[in-house]
Amino acid sequence: MSGTPEQAIQVRELRKTYVVPEREGGLAAAARSLVRRRTREVPAVAGISFDVAPGEIVGFLGPNGAGKTTTLKVLSGLLHPTSGEVTALGHVPWQRETAFLRRMTLIMGQRNQLAWDIPVVDSFDLNRAIYQIPAAEYRERVKELVELLELEELLRKPVRNLSLGERMKCEVAGSLLHRPDVLFLDEPTIGLDVTMQRRIRNFIAHYTERTGATTLLTSHYMADVEALCRRVLVIHHGQLLYDGDLAGLVTRFSPHKTIVIDLEPSGPAVDGRIEALVGSPDWLVSHAEDRLTLRVPRSETAAVTTRLLANLQVADVIVEEPPIDEVIDLVFAAGPADAQAKDAR
Amino acid sequence: MRGLPLRQLVDVYRAKFRAEIALQFAYRWALAIWLLGLLLQPIVYLVVWTTVARSQGGTVGGFSARDFAAYFTIFMVVNQLTFTWHYWEFEWRVRQGFFSPLLLRPIHPLHNDLAENVTFKLLTFTVVAPVAVLLLVTFNASLNPSPWQVLAFLPALVFAFALRFLLEWTLALAAFWLTRVTAINQAYYLAVVFLSGQMAPLELLPEAVQVIAAVLPFRWMVAFPVETVLGRLSPMEVAVGLAAQLIWIGLALGLLRFGWRAGVRRYSAVGA
Amino acid sequence: MLWLSFRLGALNAIQYRADFMVQLFQSLIGLGIALGGIAVVFSQTDQLGGWRQEELIALIGVFMLVGGLIAVVIRPSMEQLMEGVRLGTLDFTLTKPADAQVLVSVKRVEIWRLVEVVLGAALIVLAMVQLGERVSLERVAAFAVTMLAGVAIVYSFLLILSTLAFWLVRLENILVIFHSMYEAGRWPVGIYPPWLRATLTFVVPVAFAITVPVEALVGRLEPATLVGSLLLAVAFLIASRWFWRLGLRHYTGASA
Repeated sequence: MSGTPEQAIQVRELRKTYVVPEREGGLAAAARSLVRRRTREVPAVAGISFDVAPGEIVGFLGPNGAGKTTTLKVLSGLLHPTSGEVTALGHVPWQRETAFLRRMTLIMGQRNQLAWDIPVVDSFDLNRAIYQIPAAEYRERVKELVELLELEELLRKPVRNLSLGERMKCEVAGSLLHRPDVLFLDEPTIGLDVTMQRRIRNFIAHYTERTGATTLLTSHYMADVEALCRRVLVIHHGQLLYDGDLAGLVTRFSPHKTIVIDLEPSGPAVDGRIEALVGSPDWLVSHAEDRLTLRVPRSETAAVTTRLLANLQVADVIVEEPPIDEVIDLVFAAGPADAQAKDAR
Repeated sequence: MRGLPLRQLVDVYRAKFRAEIALQFAYRWALAIWLLGLLLQPIVYLVVWTTVARSQGGTVGGFSARDFAAYFTIFMVVNQLTFTWHYWEFEWRVRQGFFSPLLLRPIHPLHNDLAENVTFKLLTFTVVAPVAVLLLVTFNASLNPSPWQVLAFLPALVFAFALRFLLEWTLALAAFWLTRVTAINQAYYLAVVFLSGQMAPLELLPEAVQVIAAVLPFRWMVAFPVETVLGRLSPMEVAVGLAAQLIWIGLALGLLRFGWRAGVRRYSAVGA
Repeated sequence: MLWLSFRLGALNAIQYRADFMVQLFQSLIGLGIALGGIAVVFSQTDQLGGWRQEELIALIGVFMLVGGLIAVVIRPSMEQLMEGVRLGTLDFTLTKPADAQVLVSVKRVEIWRLVEVVLGAALIVLAMVQLGERVSLERVAAFAVTMLAGVAIVYSFLLILSTLAFWLVRLENILVIFHSMYEAGRWPVGIYPPWLRATLTFVVPVAFAITVPVEALVGRLEPATLVGSLLLAVAFLIASRWFWRLGLRHYTGASA
């Protein structure tokens, strides 16, 4: 899949390796390091490639240290990659051309971009000047943002006096004043309560829908990703494990489905026959009172369900995909080698 | 980061100005305390040298007690108008990642600091100026510059500020390479104390030190405008001084451009 | 606790080895400037307000020694404390099962500044040699006692200033005022006009940390000053403790 100019973002074989000083514990070792310092290379991103089409909203999944933030920082021009090619909106990000910087934004849930000590509205005004937003448009956008995010009360307060959630609302609003075409969101909802998470999430959805902005999002909260992203990139140890839609991720990485069967309490006892009926003792997760829980290979699901329905007095049947969080855990637990083996299958 | 339209710059500076005023107002007590400390410095040196002058029957190296009063008071004003603090903030900025938001903006971070600096100076000058007048009167300072000296003082002052700002911003870039730059900054600060004429008029220092202060940029960053308005320099010396300032400003600009490019490259290589 | 802090400080400092050289270099510059300043002054006169050159060298020695002690542990810890109040990170310190005042007072150590302490001590010894027979055991004892009292006073004073951060938000500058006041201690307080002398004695008690010990060393100290210095030290320690507790009660975390 060769990159076409219509792509908003193109990443080819991106690598980023950090050089960090090697440290041992203890005073003696530290003293030794005065003389000679050992360094070690830590690959953060180890060769990933992907494209993002204009208007797409893509979620980045991966455990801490997987390389998500590094990738976002490369894409937003803060980091110079070790090797590889990247274009965003037709620009090479780390050249940090004004034309590029004006059209994108990076929001980091754990960092403040608004000045800590001055009222929010003054920071907004500064952004207006820096991004050369025409006065009329600026007023209109602020008004709209104030309504959508309920910022009215917050504008006059210094940022340090805001709660985390309020701060994040202002942070998001301030970062979108210049109507960026590309949004990089690194954990935008981290640490927020559930209501506030939903708030921010809905707002981002609203913004991207209205402006058609291309968005890359990392989040620890699957709810964010499920609500916003049709497509996800799973990255682990700096490598791309999966690129596709969420549903596909589940079929690909979870070879099992869960079957829960409630039996008629009045029915005959099933204890003796149960293992034969299920097909394999390994598939039976639990059998308590009138409820059977099974974990069955995807391909066997239909057969097992049919068999059980035919031979038992069943009150209710539920066949479900495992929760997405569990699947993600499974992916990370498997690691790149297993994942690639699955690819080959 | 080139081709910034002037209109945009003016707009940014105005916005920054408003924000900064709000900020300083919020911290007016801290500001007052800081000013108090600032004002003490010239008094200490003034007292020491006045004591010396008195014990020597009135003058030391051509400076009377009244001359010292004028020198150290004007020095305080010039020093206050030209000093910068940004090189103290860089280490923290780099370490805490506060540089990243500045780099994401479509405007050179230098403008952020320059706007902040100028605003702060304008605000504090409203206190420093009356205090300077008060000091001049209290210590009966002898200050009577001729019109041309006052006229020459203005460009000398502006150049001194430009030079000091550019050089100290360049110095600040060291934070991109070194994790702890406090020691370097302090070393630099001490050099400024000694070589810019803060401790004693450069004339009273040994010949060799005077040469060093003049060859390096230190004299041109503070002492020179002071000497000009005190009437201690001939027109020729003033002209040479202004030229030296311009040459250093040129050098500083070159250094800053080069250092900034290398610094950002470094920053974006090791992890922003 | 102090030792642990030192060990941590040492570990931290060693990782930034370039800083050691710079610090040494810087302390030598500082020393050079101080001595240079005296040399410049004494190139124009032979006494400054009744103080002779070697007495002023002793004064610079104490100035550096006490300044070094402040720079090694007191000032960095106080800065950390104020930042902690501002950013709310003080929470972590307060939840530790030890006396919070002790904890915050030794929280950060800048080990390389010990160089200054060493240089200051060396300078004092040098000055004592120059002073020759004027130094007696009695005077050295008085010197040690007054200096200890002086350090206690300065510590308490800085703690009180830093504790103000609980009420006033952006106060890093408040240590700057002490710093510039401390600079005034480079010279005997006696040369200053009365209002400034009073300020340096009672408002920002630099005189007790520098001038008084040196007076003890060169034999100019009045017994009353010695007693006064000790009493003031005790009063300051108690006052700072009380003020610190008052401040803590006022602490609400950063987002309040």
